[in-house]
Amino acid sequence: MSSPASRPLRLALLGESMVDEAALSILVEAVLGAPFVRVQPNLRARGWPSVLQILPAIARHLHFNTNADGLIVLVDADDTEIHTAAHEAPGYFHPRCRMCQLRSSFRRATKTLPPAHGRTHMLRAIGLAVPAAEAWYLCGLDESVGEAAWLAAREEGRTPYTRRELKARVYGTERPNLPQAVAFATAAARRHAVDLRRLEYDFPGFACLADDLRNWGKVNG
Amino acid sequence: MIASVAFRNFKALRSAQLVLAPFNLIIGPNGSGKTSLIQALLRLRSLARLPLREPVPEGERLPEAAEISFRFNPPHDGLEAVLACVDEASCDLLQLTPLPRGEGVDDWPGLRTRLLTLRSYVLDHLAITSTGAGRSNGNKLASHGGNLAAVLAVRRELAPGYYTALCEELTELFPEFSDLVLLPELGSFGLRLRDGGDIVPADNLSQGTLYTLALLAIAHDPTPPAIVCIEELDRGLHPRLLRGVRDVLYRLSYPSDYGHDRAPVQVIATTHSPLMLDLFRDHPEEVVIADKVGRAATFARLADRADLADLLTEGASLGDLWYSGILGGVPEEP
Repeated sequence: MSSPASRPLRLALLGESMVDEAALSILVEAVLGAPFVRVQPNLRARGWPSVLQILPAIARHLHFNTNADGLIVLVDADDTEIHTAAHEAPGYFHPRCRMCQLRSSFRRATKTLPPAHGRTHMLRAIGLAVPAAEAWYLCGLDESVGEAAWLAAREEGRTPYTRRELKARVYGTERPNLPQAVAFATAAARRHAVDLRRLEYDFPGFACLADDLRNWGKVNG
Repeated sequence: MIASVAFRNFKALRSAQLVLAPFNLIIGPNGSGKTSLIQALLRLRSLARLPLREPVPEGERLPEAAEISFRFNPPHDGLEAVLACVDEASCDLLQLTPLPRGEGVDDWPGLRTRLLTLRSYVLDHLAITSTGAGRSNGNKLASHGGNLAAVLAVRRELAPGYYTALCEELTELFPEFSDLVLLPELGSFGLRLRDGGDIVPADNLSQGTLYTLALLAIAHDPTPPAIVCIEELDRGLHPRLLRGVRDVLYRLSYPSDYGHDRAPVQVIATTHSPLMLDLFRDHPEEVVIADKVGRAATFARLADRADLADLLTEGASLGDLWYSGILGGVPEEP
């Protein structure tokens, strides 16, 4: 098996919808700074908690049955705990943080797997969209949308915007059809791909994903 | 179109009310009144064709007789239509009552015209692929979809823009096909495979493909009905296709959201699929839970459940919550 450094990475993406995965693919390529090959492009989870339930099986399947270098997961936080810097402390685990839950689940599922397909382990990157991926699509366009604003409002017992409102702001309707939604989401992702700094700053849940991806080079280097 | 329906002693609906939204997904166990609701709407359409009955004085009404009352949205919210029944199943008399407030008190002809367009579908793949009688009329899709080939042929001839849009959406949902092919000499149709160009005839297509094509024929109707009822919306469909089918129907109910300049179509669909229900997490106001206790069935809007947001915050999907029984709408157990 050739080294990932000498060829495009082979990556599997797991999201809650075709829309999010289309945008995620563009953002991942932008972070990596190079195109990648999508492994098993028909992977999909049925929203939370399906992602958490299916992740161990998917990790195992990709490890043994494909030559994927890594798995990238994107989930919506909805109304759950936001992943903060405190959660990054060694050994810390927040039981209501979906990022912590997914990291822990992946770690447990893969830590005892023997090498396969010329690699000792599969890489992973996880992003948490707060409260939903539509907020990422509004980043830079709507100053009221961001993780800090969401967190501040939640600490005051308010919900600054709902998922429905985010959809209406992004797509112009609360009920976008798939082609509409994919078109808007990928356009937003391409806009961010030019310069990811704003998205990383406003949405630490994306910055975590980007950090994971950038650390892959260190792992493999 | 229809704002609400109230049932008294009609089949299992002994005392039940339901406020209808532009889009309504009805879930619940077998025998909980989902089909009875649609039957009541069809009865209203049938009786709307006939002369109205003179209003029966309140004192002469039999308290135990079945009765179904309909109220309407503007511009006909000043009218109430009541189906009076002689027994539980036979409701043969329609009377109209003006309400103290609201518009359209004198516009029964206008309301009647809209009600007569109501369509209800229980699609049947065998009927869709049969080449028997009844396939010549292609103006409106029949209840079982048996004239789908004729409908497609008429659509292509009289509304080619709608036909083209239908074909495009079909090939988006089923990318293995490149085109819809009409076979007028056979009174049938087929789908052309993108890989190789072979035509798969209708009777070799999957049930889900046929049902989806029928739904697209309904959705791409240049003169859609005011109300569309669809039983078992998820039938035959792969779970990943459910989103696309929901989107097709959303376009009927909320045309302005998709840039269409026409009146909304009220959609009433039933399902037993938790996966379909999952798609309505953000719109619980569109979900109706039919429930049955003993012989009595009732309806409740999911959005009226006060603790719904808290339940969803616990992490379960809407479909799982329904299946668990805590939302109601599940079969009784001994």
